[in-house]
Amino acid sequence: MDDVAKEAKAFFIIGSNTTEQHPVFGTTIRRAVKYRGAKLVVADPRKIDITEIATLHLRQRPGTDIALLNGLMYIILEKGWENKSFIDERTENFDEFKATVMDYPPEKVSQITNVPVDQLYEAAEIIASNNPTAVLWAMGITQHIVGVRNVMDLANLQMLLGNMGKAGGGVNPLRGQNNVQGACDMGGLPNVFPAYQPVTSPDVIEKFAKAWGLRTKDEFILHPSSFILSDKIGLTVTEMMPGILEGKIKSLYILGEDPVMSDPDTKHIRHCLESIDFLLLQEIFPSETAAYADVLLPGISFAEKTGTFTNTERRVQMVRKAIPRQGDARDDWWITAEIAKRVLFHLSSFEENEKKEERRKIDESAPWAKWDYKDTSAIMDEINALTPSYGGITHARLEAGERLQWPCPTTDHPGTPILHTKQFTRGKGKFMPIDHVPPAEKPDDDFPMVMSTGRVLYHWHGGQMTRRAQGLMQVYGESLVEVNPDDAVKLGLNGKSKVRITSRRGSIEAQAWVTDRVPPGMVYANFHFPESSANELTHASLDPVAKIPEYKITAVKVELV
Amino acid sequence: MTNKKIVYRPISREIEELAREHGNDSESALELLKEIQSHHSALTTASVTDAARALKLPPHQLYGMATFYSMLSLEERKKILRVCDGPVCWLKRASGQSSVNSGQLVNEWKDKVDCEFSVERTSCLGLCDRAPAVLVEDEQAGPVEANEAEKICEGWRGVPTDYSEVRKGEVRVMTALIGKIDPDSIDDALANGVYDGLKSALLGDPEAVLAEVESSGLQGRGGAGFPVGRKWRFVASEKRTPRYIICNADESEPLIFKDRVLMDTNPHQLVEGMTIAGYACGASEAWIYIRGEYEYQARRLEHAIEQAKSKNLLGENIFGTGFSFDIHVHRGAGAYICGEETALIESLEGKRGEPRLRPPYPPTYGFRGQPTAVNNVESFCAVPHIVKHGAEWWRNLTGSSTPGTKVYMALGHVKKPGLFEAPFGLTLREIIEEFGGGMPPGSQFNFALCGGAAGTIVNESLLDTPIDFSSSQKGISLGAGSFLICDQSVSPVAFLRELLHFFAAESCGKCTPCRVGTWRSLEILNRMAEGNGQKGDVDELKTLANLMQDSSFCGLGQSVAIPMKSVLTHFDAEFGKAEGN
Amino acid sequence: MAVNIKINGQPIQAEAGKTVLQVAKEHDVHIPTLCYHKDLNPTGNCRMCIVEVKGGRFLQAACVTPIWEGMEIETSSEKVMKDRKLTLELMLANHPVDCMTCDVAGECELQDLAYEYQAKVPAWGAKGTRYKVDSDPNPFIRVDMNKCILCRRCESACAEIQGRNVWGVAKRGFEEVIVAGAGVPMLEARCESCGQCVAYCPTGALSNKMNYGMGRAHQVTKVTTTCSYCGVGCQFDLLVKNNKVIGVASNPNAPVNGMALCVKGRYGYDYIHHPDRVVKPRVRRYLLEERGKTKEDGGWDWIDVEWDVALNIVAKKFMEIRGNFGADSIGLLTSAKCLNEENYLMNKLARQVIGTNNIDHCARL
Repeated sequence: MDDVAKEAKAFFIIGSNTTEQHPVFGTTIRRAVKYRGAKLVVADPRKIDITEIATLHLRQRPGTDIALLNGLMYIILEKGWENKSFIDERTENFDEFKATVMDYPPEKVSQITNVPVDQLYEAAEIIASNNPTAVLWAMGITQHIVGVRNVMDLANLQMLLGNMGKAGGGVNPLRGQNNVQGACDMGGLPNVFPAYQPVTSPDVIEKFAKAWGLRTKDEFILHPSSFILSDKIGLTVTEMMPGILEGKIKSLYILGEDPVMSDPDTKHIRHCLESIDFLLLQEIFPSETAAYADVLLPGISFAEKTGTFTNTERRVQMVRKAIPRQGDARDDWWITAEIAKRVLFHLSSFEENEKKEERRKIDESAPWAKWDYKDTSAIMDEINALTPSYGGITHARLEAGERLQWPCPTTDHPGTPILHTKQFTRGKGKFMPIDHVPPAEKPDDDFPMVMSTGRVLYHWHGGQMTRRAQGLMQVYGESLVEVNPDDAVKLGLNGKSKVRITSRRGSIEAQAWVTDRVPPGMVYANFHFPESSANELTHASLDPVAKIPEYKITAVKVELV
Repeated sequence: MTNKKIVYRPISREIEELAREHGNDSESALELLKEIQSHHSALTTASVTDAARALKLPPHQLYGMATFYSMLSLEERKKILRVCDGPVCWLKRASGQSSVNSGQLVNEWKDKVDCEFSVERTSCLGLCDRAPAVLVEDEQAGPVEANEAEKICEGWRGVPTDYSEVRKGEVRVMTALIGKIDPDSIDDALANGVYDGLKSALLGDPEAVLAEVESSGLQGRGGAGFPVGRKWRFVASEKRTPRYIICNADESEPLIFKDRVLMDTNPHQLVEGMTIAGYACGASEAWIYIRGEYEYQARRLEHAIEQAKSKNLLGENIFGTGFSFDIHVHRGAGAYICGEETALIESLEGKRGEPRLRPPYPPTYGFRGQPTAVNNVESFCAVPHIVKHGAEWWRNLTGSSTPGTKVYMALGHVKKPGLFEAPFGLTLREIIEEFGGGMPPGSQFNFALCGGAAGTIVNESLLDTPIDFSSSQKGISLGAGSFLICDQSVSPVAFLRELLHFFAAESCGKCTPCRVGTWRSLEILNRMAEGNGQKGDVDELKTLANLMQDSSFCGLGQSVAIPMKSVLTHFDAEFGKAEGN
Repeated sequence: MAVNIKINGQPIQAEAGKTVLQVAKEHDVHIPTLCYHKDLNPTGNCRMCIVEVKGGRFLQAACVTPIWEGMEIETSSEKVMKDRKLTLELMLANHPVDCMTCDVAGECELQDLAYEYQAKVPAWGAKGTRYKVDSDPNPFIRVDMNKCILCRRCESACAEIQGRNVWGVAKRGFEEVIVAGAGVPMLEARCESCGQCVAYCPTGALSNKMNYGMGRAHQVTKVTTTCSYCGVGCQFDLLVKNNKVIGVASNPNAPVNGMALCVKGRYGYDYIHHPDRVVKPRVRRYLLEERGKTKEDGGWDWIDVEWDVALNIVAKKFMEIRGNFGADSIGLLTSAKCLNEENYLMNKLARQVIGTNNIDHCARL
């Protein structure tokens, strides 16, 4: 982030409300633009704060990012602004990609995106003529049925300009939550072990089986309660929920998440959670999801624990315990470990009772089989051993003041601030031909407006924490739905007043905030407040690869209350 | 920012339109505020915010300006009558009585005016030769007393001073055409040789002009006496373009009005001088920053510029030489500090007129960060004559070791107050006796304020010291060339109070010593002048003067100490008495 | 390029372009400052850092005066010390004398300097009667312009760090005052409540409202940690007194953010002690009564239980479900709010213990 803020000659921000969602990073961009003279192109249907300082604001129609990007790349190729040597030396599949982009002449793109042709040219020129240009994106890019394609197309753009692997360049995703990066790194994903080691790889399975004291598949006959590492890719959160209704999922262990607030189509989620056999929730507050939990275990807040978070730029930093645990709440890692120990104990005894074939399920002599951690530093030792990119990141080094970004394979490695400087992970960067696909849900006569969702500066995610922060509630104490002044006139909204927003799935009421931040025909709502959460309205159309819901486009109708 | 306190309110159509007319330019902020104020009876939080939004500037910046410049106001006012409370007007009105302060005199006006005007105080209007003076909307008036308020309401504006008569001993160069030409007629000007200097300059190359001005030894006439040629050389030798010329016509220091007279009587001379400067420095654009109270003179200059353009003496490709030059007139809005050149530049850029850090100095980093020459009106007015007649002529114009002539002002207790042009090196006695016609019957010399408000206060011991830019070391300053003579009726304590009243009102507030030091000094002097002095007051004044001189950010604070320290030295007995000893 | 200068007679070679203050700092020569802050563009307003330069007519502000070849500087001559003390006294004359009850006593730079110079509070002056105390309705930032010394660090911090330009200067001379926007309440001036101005204010003019009066600098323990909100990874110090988090303070050494924080990071901490916190394990009554899952007869009531009871119920349930429906009938949602170590254990639990890859978190949402 530091390199981007200090060295980028221009920024292209698409699908990121940077100054509100990543405020401190947003300020570094403001500084770069205001005081360093960096250029800034923002592509966003909304007139978000950062557009105030933008060199150019492209207000594309929601769900037309690929057309927009292809249009920009068409112009770059038309003008010969691409970085030919980078394309030759570092990438492949350029010709196929180019053929696709050539289907997106500016006039056509302008029709799809509603961005004037001259703005397309201006944007392309700013992005191409300032070297390096950093691309910044967030959920506005991914929360579409074409989320992954959007991301790939951004990579195409940066490869085309040779902005990859360069200080001040690159594609820079801004992670929404404090430790999304860490959760992914640590194998909190259905397809990979920690450090993105695929669950489908026999070598990886063997590695973890040995470490965790499990038998490998060929030693073992498949059994429903077998102690074996599964090589079957698991379900994503957006698949688990409907999986409950399908009978596939019987039990969920939810750690510090609030699907009732954060998942699309709340009514449906409620229905799913009501149907589950057993729901374990580990939380610090009785969240909206707690209503459906069978057991609620009190975890602790960040102020009560010691360990590490990994930020959006892969920087691993210490979290330090400042106060004692509240009441009888316990460390979250302790709770998980206790559950693990007890399940292991119960499973063994269960199977013995059933008089199953006598065998040791877990080989406790394996180096990392056991669960008797004394603190998080001991857990980190295990992470160091099994997670190559975290190999050298220890609490001791961090406490000594070292600043480490992974990959950091060994304890004498200084960490890696910029990825892909010499080559891409897969060797050559591959251009992917990407075509525009219209959004899943389009406005029609019954639901004539488009609703987009997101967060606001003063709140965070499901609002469990921020709704319990007094000052934040004083500034922003209820959900506001952004409505364009023209639409407000049409609706007969006079000043601030309540509106009802209805989609095919549900209906919410909220205060309208009349503002030209949203273009006519669009409303913007958040999901911080249970009484008027936008997710009552959203739908669960997923990106086929990333399984991310299309939060950004919901067809709605808006009425006065 | 999703802050629900922000209610959607589009920018007022009117302000958006006005901003567009002014080019949606941050530099037009001051003009825009003035125009909005003129359309309504005051600025408001809303209108200031809208103006800021229209110009894409932070609202605090425009609000900071609206509350900084004295001619802008957020208070509802009708037509405004501004009563000058400068020291010269005070002297005239109060006849030097220490019990009467300038605030009381303004109140007198408030009582007397019963027409639609709102009466408010203003710092020196630059009408010292017409003291006591007032400004009626933008019309200069004087001399006029409060009991003549009715006449003012009826449209009477007093009588302007006539300077066509040459005093004995005068050497008129810059003032030579006073009364001889119609200042609004370029044909008159041309017939009398104005623009001859420009024509001859354009025949040679810029380097020749530069060399001529350098060798003339012309020193800046704003008060500091910095060599004009050297300043221009700095600008001309900067590689960066564009370069700019700025004329400092923000004549706001009490006692000084010469630039007004020069602009009023021969505006083309200034236009010519600036154009020559532009040619010598390789500049293409210039601004005259004229104080807002000189609206009449500003219009006259605009008219002159238009005429010059119509004759191709200004504008594109002047006389086919390929040299193009344009001059804009920019009005201030009431702030003495804007006479400080970096504060002037800040103001011109649409900000509060606060001095900048130096270095860098304007010749390297001036207006818009570009190389800029800032010179006083009188300096520019001298240039055409130097170019026309040569440096040698200028150096030999008088017998003084300082080349050229100077425009002087004599005020206060002399028989013939006013303005005259003469060589350097005059003594105070000569100024009083020969040019000022002596002191009136019954008046004895008590003290004189020399140079301007920020000059030295001297007693009779310095009556015979020749005055030039270097004489301040001997204790008597030339400054901008004005001399206020006070007789025995004037208390030096009360007089210093009036000066501090001015400085406290005009301190920009940026640095601590000046901001608090002027205020505290005034507090002490108010007390002393009213006969309530306390032991230690003089010491505290001296300490404050030293602090302001040593530690202030800019020349304003530094120079407040000059009259303070000199008067405390020369009149320690009077001050001791005022302490109540 | 290097130039040779002398500071207090000591010959020093330093890089051209540096200021006197920078060079002095590098050589451990103490020069007091107030309006200067290393993160902000120097303005030279307060005149505390004045030094004497040989041959100069006036004293120079060290923070803005560049060094030049042959420059000889005295940083604590009699004249300098006298002027600094007097400048301080001019500030103190118009500053409330309420250090006894002021929240920032102990970390107030004005107080420290007044102490260092043994400055007297003059008998004259406004003494804190000019402006309303706590004059702004902003819920986080307490404004008391009586304590303002017009150093303008708030203006610079808002402009240069936050890029927001809320604070500015209005009026002039002695009347000069810091204002938000066009003299409106901060939030109306589009303040984002990031608190940068508070972090940079050297006095108590801008302080934190939420913990005003709850603990002074020397009474709190600072614990450096990482923010729990977005993914930027700002670090800051939690201020702890009597086992309670009473506030958040910028930590200048934070790698990502320096002194900067956002409204949530700086002021969104009070949830930690919110009475809604779950502090005891809870299970539904039906689980204790060995009934099937039911909402009838109070079966869905929460019952607080001991950890052993709760954990055994959980383990037993998982075991049963795994036994009856297979490992893939259990799903785990791990947490992007929790530690790496905790996420790792969730991954290990899913894969080693349960035997499923059904693990995900809300990155997608």
